[in-house]
Amino acid sequence: MDRQTAISRSRLYANIRSFFSDRGYLEVETPTLSPDLIPEATIDNFGTTFVNEFAGSREMYLIPSPEIFIKKLLADGSGSVFEISKCFRNCEQLGRIHNPEFTMLEYYSVGFDEKDSIALTQEFLRATALEGCPSCVLEDFEVLTVREAVLRYTGLDLDGLQRPADLRAAAQKLGLIIPGPESWDDTFNRIFINFVETALPKDHPVCLTDYPKQIECLAEAEGNYRRRWELYAGGIELANCYLEERDPDIAADYYRREYQKLLALRSDNGKTIPDIDDSFCDVLARLPECSGVAMGLDRLLMLETGRKDMDDVLLFPFSRMAGN
Amino acid sequence: MIKAGQIDKGTALLIKGQPFICVEREFVNPGKGSAFVRLKLKSPTTGQVLQETIKSQDSVEDINVETMDYQYMYNDGESFHMMNVDTYDQFEVPMSNFEGYELLMKDGETYRCTVYNDEILDIQIPSKVVYLVAEAEEAIKGDTVQGATKFVTTETGLRVRVPIFIKQGEKIRVNTETREYLERVNG
Repeated sequence: MDRQTAISRSRLYANIRSFFSDRGYLEVETPTLSPDLIPEATIDNFGTTFVNEFAGSREMYLIPSPEIFIKKLLADGSGSVFEISKCFRNCEQLGRIHNPEFTMLEYYSVGFDEKDSIALTQEFLRATALEGCPSCVLEDFEVLTVREAVLRYTGLDLDGLQRPADLRAAAQKLGLIIPGPESWDDTFNRIFINFVETALPKDHPVCLTDYPKQIECLAEAEGNYRRRWELYAGGIELANCYLEERDPDIAADYYRREYQKLLALRSDNGKTIPDIDDSFCDVLARLPECSGVAMGLDRLLMLETGRKDMDDVLLFPFSRMAGN
Repeated sequence: MIKAGQIDKGTALLIKGQPFICVEREFVNPGKGSAFVRLKLKSPTTGQVLQETIKSQDSVEDINVETMDYQYMYNDGESFHMMNVDTYDQFEVPMSNFEGYELLMKDGETYRCTVYNDEILDIQIPSKVVYLVAEAEEAIKGDTVQGATKFVTTETGLRVRVPIFIKQGEKIRVNTETREYLERVNG
């Protein structure tokens, strides 16, 4: 075994625990095996079966994120919490920055808006850094909106390109080939992954804020954008944050649309179609104003220890296990 | 038709009626959104390079290619002259489409090729190949700054960094992808 890898991870987790407990956050442990999930069309799931030989069996799912349980705790008055949790995502390609089973740090700060959580995250990275951690993690964040980033790297102003046909024409002018009609967010993602994500500076962390509202998620919308940010370090997407949506009607609408998309994407290819927790939207009505950050700890460990491949920070990478 | 997610390095595709070979493939998963495959495609006939970003679920037209063995005869500085070992038909392949292959292919050697419509789309060079050391620098005694290595040139003209004990006339095994020395071959 690579002893140094194990030591680095153990130290990082100890630093994380002391950082949050010093600030009054409660560490929680929630299930990784769940009877239902929040619908997320583009995140494929692992399904399994709970077997009771006398009372019947039922489908269960490995969580893609502990969000579903943590929000219930927040609604019940837990106050600010954090969790280091195993998460599972199916159908993603292996290697470099993906492993089907990975470790996520989630921290939810009650009363924080997205600006507060950016400041907290900057402080977090410095306070928990391992010895020898490079500047791509430790430097001051460069904070810019997605609109500013797209303007900087493509010259396009998203505010004037809100109709799918306009964005599509603009993408084609940039040289992208778009085979058929598609949604606004698919065209946006083409532009983003080809011209923005690859061009982001790699020597310091970059925090992109205010994602287009067309990319649907449980972050509050405001005008053409959503109160959501993502952190890139060394060119790798490291963390994602929402100012959490608390309107149960908006959430229920999102749920319905997202589940329809999920069914359309998975109906004929054998992919897992999870059960959906219908009571979840009511939980959101009781959610305090809070900002939730999800950070990939395997990626953070990679960056901090200067490894180029996630497999190098995993003691048993999926790609090297028997059968792969 | 195949799904874009099934495309791999070396997959041959038909784009607007033209054959292209995938030379680079990367999966890209935006945080929230469809999974994409970013491809770099090269036309073996014109050398044109295309960058395409396709949704993993989208279908693309692939090509039914044949694999045949061709003997590499020589190059004239512009084309590789190849001969089909079954039919003895001769083909010229523009060297610009296979950059650096002249340093890896050995005259008279047979290579497995991907063929479509009587055109060679791809020449497969084994990942490990034994070469003859045609020229070797004299090792400078006591110079261990470079980890005791020196350069040699193979019979194909490839310059390889090797340990100082390798002499002219000996054979070495080389990784053709990284072009790095692997080991000395006896006999």
